[in-house]
Amino acid sequence: MGNVTVTPEQFTLVFFEADRIRERAAEIAAEVGLVADIHIEVDESSPVGRVRVRSVEPIEIWAQGGAFEEPKRPRHLSERNLVEALGRLLFRVKDRQDPGFAEAPPDEELSLQQQNIWDTYALGRLARAGFEVAKPRWLYHFRTRQGFTDVSDAAFARLWAADGLTWADLEAIRAETEQARTAA
Amino acid sequence: MKRHLTVEDLARDNRFVRVNMEDRMNDPRNVGGPGAYGRDAAEKADDEGGRRGRMGLGRMTPDAPNAPDAARSLMHGIFVGEIQALEGAGRTCYDFDLGENADQVPYALKLDMARQCWDEARHCEISVKLTEWMGTEIGEFTESPFLFQAACNPDALLRLAGVNRALEGLAIDVFNTMRTFGDKAGDPVLEFCEDWMLADEVTHVKMGSDWLRKLTVNDPERRARALEFQSVVDKLFSLGGGRSDDEDSPIRLARRFRQMAGFTDDEIDEIAGLSREAREEAEARVAARRMAATGSGNTTPAD
Repeated sequence: MGNVTVTPEQFTLVFFEADRIRERAAEIAAEVGLVADIHIEVDESSPVGRVRVRSVEPIEIWAQGGAFEEPKRPRHLSERNLVEALGRLLFRVKDRQDPGFAEAPPDEELSLQQQNIWDTYALGRLARAGFEVAKPRWLYHFRTRQGFTDVSDAAFARLWAADGLTWADLEAIRAETEQARTAA
Repeated sequence: MKRHLTVEDLARDNRFVRVNMEDRMNDPRNVGGPGAYGRDAAEKADDEGGRRGRMGLGRMTPDAPNAPDAARSLMHGIFVGEIQALEGAGRTCYDFDLGENADQVPYALKLDMARQCWDEARHCEISVKLTEWMGTEIGEFTESPFLFQAACNPDALLRLAGVNRALEGLAIDVFNTMRTFGDKAGDPVLEFCEDWMLADEVTHVKMGSDWLRKLTVNDPERRARALEFQSVVDKLFSLGGGRSDDEDSPIRLARRFRQMAGFTDDEIDEIAGLSREAREEAEARVAARRMAATGSGNTTPAD
């Protein structure tokens, strides 16, 4: 198990604790099976919720403070949002170490649909590992991106329960929902 | 029973967390400080995309990076607004005696408010179901009590100007925008709910317009006060200029529906002007705070 570091160490604009972020990241990394060091940089000055993997080797996560924030208590940490944000990214990092994801484009080239399908696959695994995940929220995300169709709902259910998928599997599901969306 | 309740008197269960405007204004992150943009162009674009989705600085479209959560948050805001609109119209039925004096209201006005209560109660039910459909928990986001605050004015006419004309007018703009959003996203439930609620909002705004004219037909001074109060509310809740005529604004002024609700073209132009002013003032505030934070007058995020 590698070290997890968080910057800033002391938050001044929000009521986050670096130790708590470090603890949860370490728990998720252990579940995901990542053994390398992880650095998480939080931009506390932004209430917006964007997150990204800045680097895979070494693992560097960048997040705007809003991604970890409790929507009903501005500036306070949300355990669930923290777990969901980190879980999506760390599973993606782990997947990229798998030869089955060798064909996946870099993060910045992923379309909204591709990213959404990958996120759903990650969040399903995160939920099955016992972390609290807001499944209805992610279903709405999925429908918005993949279409409000029966095919899309079935694809969501499959992805949520899936394990051991490859990039080709995710792309096949995306093509399936795209076809149904176009036809609808 | 007590008349003229304050926001603190409203009943809420522990799922709801209220945040007032002062707290929002005092959030130190609203300054757009030096860390608000990332280090490279990709992050800048990413950030701007996120802001468009959530912070309301760009058009609400389904292809914005954070569109699903932006829509969920906005519709939760509408849901709590419906609760407050029900409470406000209910209070206006009860807070005033019947009569012709300035501190009284005609029976027909109370009937209109009672009808509005019925509509708002139905909107609450629709919103609860829509919230569930969008994967949102009741109370997941904060509640801003501004609608009920506008309904606390001791003059019934000013309540109607502030709530029915200004805030329900804003609701027209929001519902119209979200109906389009639902259409573009292919979300039939969102589109359908917005369409139905929009129809009622037009009626509520028209009630405000009609009573404003009727009650002040011989009292230009009271009409001026009511319109001034409406202007203040309109400007305060123009979402920092995010509700405007501009093509890229998150919430577009729904001119046609506002005309149907009794607004004249001049009045709609005035609201658009107030939004522009609010946007310019917001931008100036951010620029000033950035300058204070960075020691630089450059307000353009670094590429």
